[in-house]
Amino acid sequence: MKNKILNIKNLSKSFGAFKVTDEIAIDLNFDEIHALIGPNGAGKSTLIKQIVGSVKHDIGSIVLDQEDITDLNDVERAKIGISRTFQVSSIIPKFSSLDNIILSLLDKSKETFQLFKSIRENKELNSKAKNILREIELLDKKDIAASELSHGDRRKLEVGLALAMDPKVFLFDEPMAGLDESGTKMMINLFKKIKSNSPILLIEHDMDAVFALADRVSVINYGKIVATGTVDQIRSNDLVRDVYLGYEI
Amino acid sequence: MIIEKFFNKWIMFFLLLIPTCGVIFDEPYFITLATKVVILGIAGVGLNLALGYCGLISLGHAAFFGIGGYITGILSFHALNDEVLFSWPLVVSGSSEMLIIWPIAILVSAFFSFIIGLLSLRTSGVYFIMITLAFAQMLYFFSISWPNYGGEDGLSIYMRNSFPMLNTMDPLTFYIISLFWFLFSIFISLKLINSPFGMSFQAIKQNEERVKSVGIETFKVKLLVFVISGTITGLAGSLYTDLNRFVSPTVLDWQTSGEIMVFVILGGMARLYGPLVGAAFFIALEQTLGSYTENWQFWLGLILILVILYARSGILGLFDKKLKHEK
Repeated sequence: MKNKILNIKNLSKSFGAFKVTDEIAIDLNFDEIHALIGPNGAGKSTLIKQIVGSVKHDIGSIVLDQEDITDLNDVERAKIGISRTFQVSSIIPKFSSLDNIILSLLDKSKETFQLFKSIRENKELNSKAKNILREIELLDKKDIAASELSHGDRRKLEVGLALAMDPKVFLFDEPMAGLDESGTKMMINLFKKIKSNSPILLIEHDMDAVFALADRVSVINYGKIVATGTVDQIRSNDLVRDVYLGYEI
Repeated sequence: MIIEKFFNKWIMFFLLLIPTCGVIFDEPYFITLATKVVILGIAGVGLNLALGYCGLISLGHAAFFGIGGYITGILSFHALNDEVLFSWPLVVSGSSEMLIIWPIAILVSAFFSFIIGLLSLRTSGVYFIMITLAFAQMLYFFSISWPNYGGEDGLSIYMRNSFPMLNTMDPLTFYIISLFWFLFSIFISLKLINSPFGMSFQAIKQNEERVKSVGIETFKVKLLVFVISGTITGLAGSLYTDLNRFVSPTVLDWQTSGEIMVFVILGGMARLYGPLVGAAFFIALEQTLGSYTENWQFWLGLILILVILYARSGILGLFDKKLKHEK
């Protein structure tokens, strides 16, 4: 228990008769990337929504860094250290890339309710935001409105928003979708670098990226975790090959 | 943004030119009209913060406009009649001093904005529109049924409230007082929209779920914007009562909320001077078309439809685009 930053037990959610997540038990160790894979509609994104608190679960418990966060709402969970990206890019479209990142820095730096201080004159926030943009290779696009960025750049920006929060855990929902080869490579290197500070629960369909990154992999199907193990264990698991990976892998 | 700043300078020039012309040609009516535009502009600047910058579609801002107006009217009424306002737990009399009336109007408007916001902001979309409308209508019917202060007939205060060393009955002096408050409300808005808090509420308008996901308490942010917005509109209501030396339930009617919203949409949402331009356009239409037909609002409706269909950034947005293309 001590080496687990995130511990989810028995998490279930039904929409009518349909069980989207069924007694999910999954955990995340310090220094770890734990990938969650499964076919479309298996319940991966709903699980993320339950962890961040935007979808209320029916039963189960969520413990983050020894603290039971089951009854906290989505904003409270974000405040205490859960940072996420969305399956479909969710950014502030009319804000520049720089302003998107600054927005993400506000709560941590306790600046949200600064009413009359100019954001442009806050050198610390601007410099932190630029560093993050540099890290996600978007510094040259800092003044471009987020809505004008390419799909791949928006995915990077979303990761930047998550990074800015300096959270206890990252929940990344298909962060590499739509990225070109160099973008994926950058993201893989970035994730390897940041996992020591904040471990990552990663949902991803790019299996090359998953196998390159994940310390552990869990497979979800019809809302249930059907297998958990190392990359090699998952690769050689017959059930997993049946439900998701296919025999050609 | 640079082009908008260029327009703002022209707007400031006109704000000074019109009353000057009124003085030169001895037409105090123009000064009074300009004062009305400026005061309605303040109400619009208030609503613009909530509607234009934060996306809160309030159909209840007449409540704050009316509260500011009635506070001014009631305090003044008691002062002029030399009656105490209430005698328990303290003896409080009325006042005809603007420097006393304004802070009270501001505080009471802020208090009501807080209460109405606290309850309304638990909803969103059409429910928010309806609940804010319902609050304003409650106050409207309350004012009608309050015979002490004129009920349906309203309350006349005969003398404009006073300001030390100034003759507030002089149209130009009162215009300058109103202009000061307009510029102050613009200053506050400008400071807010460029602050971290402003960044938060402008982001909420675009993507509230994302703002929540970065740990920002969107309810608190929206509530504070709503309170500031309602307070500025309440101040406008206070000045409006002094301008007319009269306040009636009409200021609390849903039509007033609609008109303030029209100023914002016509002039340009989320544009600092948009509400003033919208109010000026509205008053100009009222004065010109209104002299031909009492149903001049038909044409206003037509213009509003055209603005919404073809110029969503309002009148300022139209010029903005035109200049951008010419450049």
